[in-house]
Amino acid sequence: MPNAKTKKTHHPAADRSVRASAMEQEFRALLDAAVNAIVVINHRGIIEEFSLAAERIFGYTATEAVGRNVSLLMPEPFRSAHDGYLERYYATGEARIIGVGREVRAQRKDGTTFAADLSVGRVSGTEPPRFVGIIRDITARKIAEERLQRSESELRLAQEIANLGNYVIHLDQGERDYRSPQLLRVLGMDESAPPVPPEEYFARWVHPADADRLRDAYRDMESSGGTLDIEYRLIMPDGSEKHLHHIAQTVYDEHGRPAKRIGTIHDITDRRRAEDEARQLQERLTHFARLSTMGEMAAGLAHEINQPLSAIATYAQACQRFIRQPDHDDADILESLEQINAQALRAGEVIRRLRNFVKNREVKREPVDCTKLLEDLRTLAETDARLHNIWLRIEPQGNLPLVYADPIQLQQVILNLVRNAIDAMAEVPEPRREVMLSTRLTGEGEIEVVVADHGTGLAPEATEHLFNPFFTTKTGGTGLGLAISRSIVRAHGGRLWHTPNEGSGARFHFTLPVSPAAVSAGSKDE
Amino acid sequence: MIKETKPTVFVVDDDAAVRDSLRMLLKSVGLPVEVFESGQEFLDAERDDRPGCLVLDIRMPGMSGLELQVKLNERHSILPIIFITGHGDVPMAVEAMQAGAVDFIQKPFRDQDLLDRINQALEKDAGSRRMLAERNMIRKRLESLTPREREVLDLVVAGKANKVIAGDLNLSQRTVEIHRARVMEKMEAHSLAHLVRMVLEVERPEE
Repeated sequence: MPNAKTKKTHHPAADRSVRASAMEQEFRALLDAAVNAIVVINHRGIIEEFSLAAERIFGYTATEAVGRNVSLLMPEPFRSAHDGYLERYYATGEARIIGVGREVRAQRKDGTTFAADLSVGRVSGTEPPRFVGIIRDITARKIAEERLQRSESELRLAQEIANLGNYVIHLDQGERDYRSPQLLRVLGMDESAPPVPPEEYFARWVHPADADRLRDAYRDMESSGGTLDIEYRLIMPDGSEKHLHHIAQTVYDEHGRPAKRIGTIHDITDRRRAEDEARQLQERLTHFARLSTMGEMAAGLAHEINQPLSAIATYAQACQRFIRQPDHDDADILESLEQINAQALRAGEVIRRLRNFVKNREVKREPVDCTKLLEDLRTLAETDARLHNIWLRIEPQGNLPLVYADPIQLQQVILNLVRNAIDAMAEVPEPRREVMLSTRLTGEGEIEVVVADHGTGLAPEATEHLFNPFFTTKTGGTGLGLAISRSIVRAHGGRLWHTPNEGSGARFHFTLPVSPAAVSAGSKDE
Repeated sequence: MIKETKPTVFVVDDDAAVRDSLRMLLKSVGLPVEVFESGQEFLDAERDDRPGCLVLDIRMPGMSGLELQVKLNERHSILPIIFITGHGDVPMAVEAMQAGAVDFIQKPFRDQDLLDRINQALEKDAGSRRMLAERNMIRKRLESLTPREREVLDLVVAGKANKVIAGDLNLSQRTVEIHRARVMEKMEAHSLAHLVRMVLEVERPEE
């Protein structure tokens, strides 16, 4: 192309002239067809050719531009400096732009400037030299680039703020894998560190207690093509723990082969820690409420432990007397000894239940048979009832499905309700002194537990604040019992409410959703 | 005292083990014992007012020991009650004592303490039964007096001399003396003092 261009000079040979004229026409067509502006200048920088695209881009007509210094097309300070550039080139032969191309600012006729990509070539075989400049308006690209840069830096900032990193793994190895800077920061990795293969990640990074779970979830994603959405902990090199929320998805190519895996890793340590603190606080409060319930029941429990002890002492003394009699019946002694054994176990059992109940322990959900649960808390509840000369009637519905719950917390709720019922009946005459504890399966597939009393009932002004923490109508009450009972029931997906009892007194109800897994497990057992 | 009945120890306690251990203990010392698991069961039982005593748990669901005591008092039962109490039941025990219980004993107890209390209660029961029997006897004797003899008796007990009584009743002193001798005979009185004591025994409580 450089040699395609010759100036309109006179050459004697006609065929050469014809050829030149044909080339000239081709050159013109080329000039006009080019999308980019093409400007030809002479050695003094005077414009000789100005293409159609140049007219469009710069706003000058060819007539206006040709014959003027090319610096016309540049803003200051380049405009004044341009002649100097040429002189330096002639003086030193050092090409700063020729053959290199660069991004420059260009100026339109209306004085506005724009970003342009300029490449310059020297037309070979011309003396004095002539130059061809090709100018491309890169405003749109510039804007896109800036926008991209901005969105990249915004994304980086957003990831930093959110503590969220992302990655793309090209399973088909079509492109280089990508790990965002924040991802590396979350993982405490250097940019130069090699990517960690999943197995190594599970084995070396993930908290041992979570590793199997994550491995399973990962395997599920790989085999079913689904997504990964899991929370787990990392053990950092300094021994600290990080809580992550990891989401990943596999993308498939048109042949259904896994092409890439896109994932985000969200550092939720702070949130987790706050949640943990809140939960621990709640657990401490729950435990405190349990202890204070137990405190209220202490007298009854002392009584309950005293019963077998008393029986043991009496049996033993009877044995001593039998043995001293020459004509005693061994059967009496044997029977007494058997009872001593049984009563010692009974006392131990009361203490065991008590310890279980007051022990500060981790909340643990498991399939719970409500009928067995009522049987388990019978000792504690009956103890309290007996101390107040109250009958406790327990009427569980048979064959209830299992619920998924923390059994000790459920006992806490029920004992608390029974305690309240007992307190409500302190002044009630004997025939009505009965607490009824029952369970049933509702039409909605929930298990409903009801504690009904024939006590004084609830004053309207009390019902309003009943579930507020620290509200109590009892002297010496903490006012935590019902508030915590309700939060326990809610945490189990149930509701706690009260209705007036038929006749007199109050009924407290709570529901527990039947665990779907427990249903099948339960029916299999039956 | 129509016939000699061996006293029975009645035990009312809702706790099967406590109840049964008491039955064993009393059996070991050869005391007849009957056990009941509630106050109502005891009230419903046909006891024919047999002599004995009641060992009663103060705390029971439903009818408490104290409530059973009230019901027995309403029925004019004279059965002495020994309350079995647990820890911290002193206020209830005081209440029970005020309502006429003979004693209370705290669980767990030494067998001898309980047996001593039971023996005391049985003695008390025998004593009150003897007294009741005696009163019945005195009443029977009083009922055998004629109206005139009764008039004379009342004046004698009031401390009046025969002469005064004769004047009051408009009788001869001799007639008064004969009535008085009949009264002494019918009442089986050894002396005037004995006669007065017998009359006061049956009449003062009714006032």
